[in-house]
Amino acid sequence: MSEHMLEWLPAYHDHELPPAKRNQVESHLRDCSSCRAELQTLTGLSALLKTDPAPQFTPPERFATQVQLLLPRRAPSHPQRLPRWVLGAPLALVVVGAFLQAALWVTWLVLAAGSTFSGLASWLPTDSNLDIFGTLSVLNIALLTGAIVLWCTWMAFWWAWKYNQNLEPVFNQLEKEV
Amino acid sequence: MTSPHTAPAMDDRELIASAQLGDRQAFGELVCRHQKSVVSVIYRMCGDPRLAEDAAQEAFVRVWQHLNSYKPQYAFRSWLYRIAANAALDALRRERPSAEIETLPLADPTPGPEQTAETDQRAAKVRQAVARLSEPLRVVLVLREYEELSYQEIAAALEIPLGTVMSRLNTARIQLRRELDGLLEAP
Repeated sequence: MSEHMLEWLPAYHDHELPPAKRNQVESHLRDCSSCRAELQTLTGLSALLKTDPAPQFTPPERFATQVQLLLPRRAPSHPQRLPRWVLGAPLALVVVGAFLQAALWVTWLVLAAGSTFSGLASWLPTDSNLDIFGTLSVLNIALLTGAIVLWCTWMAFWWAWKYNQNLEPVFNQLEKEV
Repeated sequence: MTSPHTAPAMDDRELIASAQLGDRQAFGELVCRHQKSVVSVIYRMCGDPRLAEDAAQEAFVRVWQHLNSYKPQYAFRSWLYRIAANAALDALRRERPSAEIETLPLADPTPGPEQTAETDQRAAKVRQAVARLSEPLRVVLVLREYEELSYQEIAAALEIPLGTVMSRLNTARIQLRRELDGLLEAP
């Protein structure tokens, strides 16, 4: 006799096995009294659970009327969607910020190289490198500040939207009580 | 509750579409169709008919409020059972201090002549054994044994993997077999 198939029996009992496996289990059950007994216990348990009948509940029509009395007057709310630009804003900020940072660092490195190897970057005015770097740094700080402000605005917008969504059931409840 | 403009020919999908537009009659028809399943699941979860009906009403109000977030590509039944299971768990958490497993009422307090004391006692034991299961095990067992949902439907309703459904069902059955050993030997 092949090995027992105890692990497959619950799924077999629940009609959840694919046909090939089902046939395999059935052919095993023909020869294995131990697995047959296990299957019988599973069937017996299902039958036993169903010996506890459900009580008589309120008739459906009356129940539906009761539910309708509890419904808020407002029609089901449509899930609000945030505009695409709101969802894309943080990503765009990260991309723009990364690009600006990279551009500034490359510029700074070119300027630094220009000072050290004036032959390689002779087109740059070497004596004004420091001023240009200072200007770029100020520009960088201004851009970062702008990015942070935009980020905070986005967060505030998102929070306000979320809070409004959360408040909806409260408004419905209040409406019902009034 | 079948009104003239929600003719019996309307299937669930059409009723849902109408209800999503605010048609209360269509929603009433949906409630009528699914009341028995929803109340039954909650009753099997909490063991108290009154509590089950209250929680089922609450579940249907939630269904109405969130009807527009329901996507027709998913089975309505699974979505409904998810809301029903959550309503049952909420009700249990609220009522837990007063809900004693040993005092769960019998299904029919006025048994007819065909119902013997023995069968009532057996039913009560079964109910108590089911009530002793932990909530995650109980909900899977109820959906399978009483509502006869497939593993896939249970997984969708509870948003758990298929393997978890199988292992919870298996554990629940092992525990029940242990609890109801005497009754299983002499069914």
